[in-house]
Amino acid sequence: MSDRTENLVLVLPGLLLLALAFLVPIGQMLVLSVEGENGFTLAHFSRFLTDSYYLGVLWRTIRLSIVITAICAAIGFPFAYIMAHVGPRIRLWLVLLVILPLMTSVVVRTFGWMVLLGRSGLVPDILRDLGLAGRNFSLMHTEAAIVIGMVQVLLPFMTLSILGILTRLDPRLEEAARTMGCSFLKTIRTVVLPLALPGIVAGSLLVFTLSASSFVTPNLLGGSRIQMLATSIYRQVTQTLDWPFAAAQATILFVGVLLILIPYARLTGARNG
Amino acid sequence: MVDVLLKDIRKSFGSMEVLHGISIEIARGEFVSLLGPSGCGKTTLLRIIAGLEGVSQGSVEIAGQDVTRLPPEKRDIAMMFQSYALLPHLSVAENVRFPLRMRGIGSREEQAERVRAALETVHLSAFAERRPRQLSGGQQQRVALARAIVSNPKVLLLDEPLSNLDARLREDMQVELIEMHKRLGLTTVFVTHDQEEALSLSDRIVLIQKGRVEQEGTPSDIYARPATHFASTFLGTANLVAAEIEGHGENAAARLADGQVLPLAGADAQPGPAMLAIRQEDVTLLAAGSVEGALRARVRTRVYLGARSRYVVELSDKELRVLAPNDSVFEGGEDVMLKIDPARIRILPAKET
Repeated sequence: MSDRTENLVLVLPGLLLLALAFLVPIGQMLVLSVEGENGFTLAHFSRFLTDSYYLGVLWRTIRLSIVITAICAAIGFPFAYIMAHVGPRIRLWLVLLVILPLMTSVVVRTFGWMVLLGRSGLVPDILRDLGLAGRNFSLMHTEAAIVIGMVQVLLPFMTLSILGILTRLDPRLEEAARTMGCSFLKTIRTVVLPLALPGIVAGSLLVFTLSASSFVTPNLLGGSRIQMLATSIYRQVTQTLDWPFAAAQATILFVGVLLILIPYARLTGARNG
Repeated sequence: MVDVLLKDIRKSFGSMEVLHGISIEIARGEFVSLLGPSGCGKTTLLRIIAGLEGVSQGSVEIAGQDVTRLPPEKRDIAMMFQSYALLPHLSVAENVRFPLRMRGIGSREEQAERVRAALETVHLSAFAERRPRQLSGGQQQRVALARAIVSNPKVLLLDEPLSNLDARLREDMQVELIEMHKRLGLTTVFVTHDQEEALSLSDRIVLIQKGRVEQEGTPSDIYARPATHFASTFLGTANLVAAEIEGHGENAAARLADGQVLPLAGADAQPGPAMLAIRQEDVTLLAAGSVEGALRARVRTRVYLGARSRYVVELSDKELRVLAPNDSVFEGGEDVMLKIDPARIRILPAKET
């Protein structure tokens, strides 16, 4: 057997698994989304795209995902920068700290946020005491709650993506910039940020996809009033039992994420390639 | 005019002091090498001048201004790093323009003109639009040099800039550095562990050992008259031979451990125990036999070096290194006579504190 066929044989089980567990369900979903009582139809898609409620859900999904991604980048970059510049022991602790949310069950973590953000929870209490909020103020079932809960879960993906790039940067580059007249902040802006861009892009892609398709956290923290696409799909499947319409929404989510991600990845890829 | 003035610099990392009070004065336009083995503190000292490290004690002055507490970007310096530290996301021309842009020197047109001139100085005009990683090591090094000189800094700091190059490129770059220094007259501090580099490039060498200045002087001075055991062995390979000095002036001679006597030229010879520093190229090998004033020894190994050979010879119970031309060749095991020019023997104290 030649090397090539050997490689093919080796990769075959993995490919089969991917095809069965991934491509077949997606294919089925695509088929389901265009299935009507009398065969092929685009009625589910036109229903979604003409109903302002569902367009609002789509827009909210995209908008919140962008906000979550931006906040993760804004927190993740300085955090990763600090991690890259401390000693290996402290770095280990910081990495542990940042991936801690991933080690707890999403349900438990989200219930934790419900306690903190609810009417008599810690966060509204403090805001009330500071005079920043009214008596019945609650953060539960708001978009802010979704953003807070999601940022906590997704921050490690952003931080670790950036950290991977920053630890491979020659520390002399920053020192060289300093000797060439850059202040600390100017060094970050003109040297570190541009060089960390691939990490920020990779982290953003991860965070954006994960938040656009997330279900548990928006469902619990957003409640039934504030729907995102994933929760809306879930409702179609479990409550109205309209599977073809759910499939159409899933297809729209899938295509929408691809439409946003591909140009973004290419744009930055071209800049650094 | 003093451009760099270091006063009693002390530096500790944690509880370990690596610089124990170093004072150096560097005149305008001078090319000074900080020479020493790795770990002696020379790079730390350079980083202190640059402002990349703080001092634990002492002060740094550049062009008459106390800059001890100033961050690097506020000091009028340029530094060239061992790894070159070119910014990979910028083109060669952008890299060279970087210090001008960041320091706000000149208009856009002036900056372009200075970048062009600097790239011409290092013969890289054709590569202005390339990315650093598309260049060879030697070319990257020249870009780093152009970037260091483009802002015409008060002080140019070079941190072992030649050590990543292969032997031929390094020689070429040495010549370029000398010519560039002659032309631009920049005050230059050059850190190296390579004694040949220091000897060939500098106006003055500051020899550093274990965080202290061991000796300083012109290359020829420091080479011909090393003041300490370390200076004599580090600069040019000298052999240290313990001996007892007898007699005064013209009659002075050194008695070695095995009783053989070596005549000395003697002006500075004091009777008593001493250490003789004998350079490997100051020894002549002669065929065995009785030669007046020569020492009996035996060749242990010969290493062929092309134009010359390096010998390891046994003199009493000591090993001596000798560098001799290949016109008469001795093989391992042969008895030889060592003739040493008395005027070139350096007499050092037997013990150092």
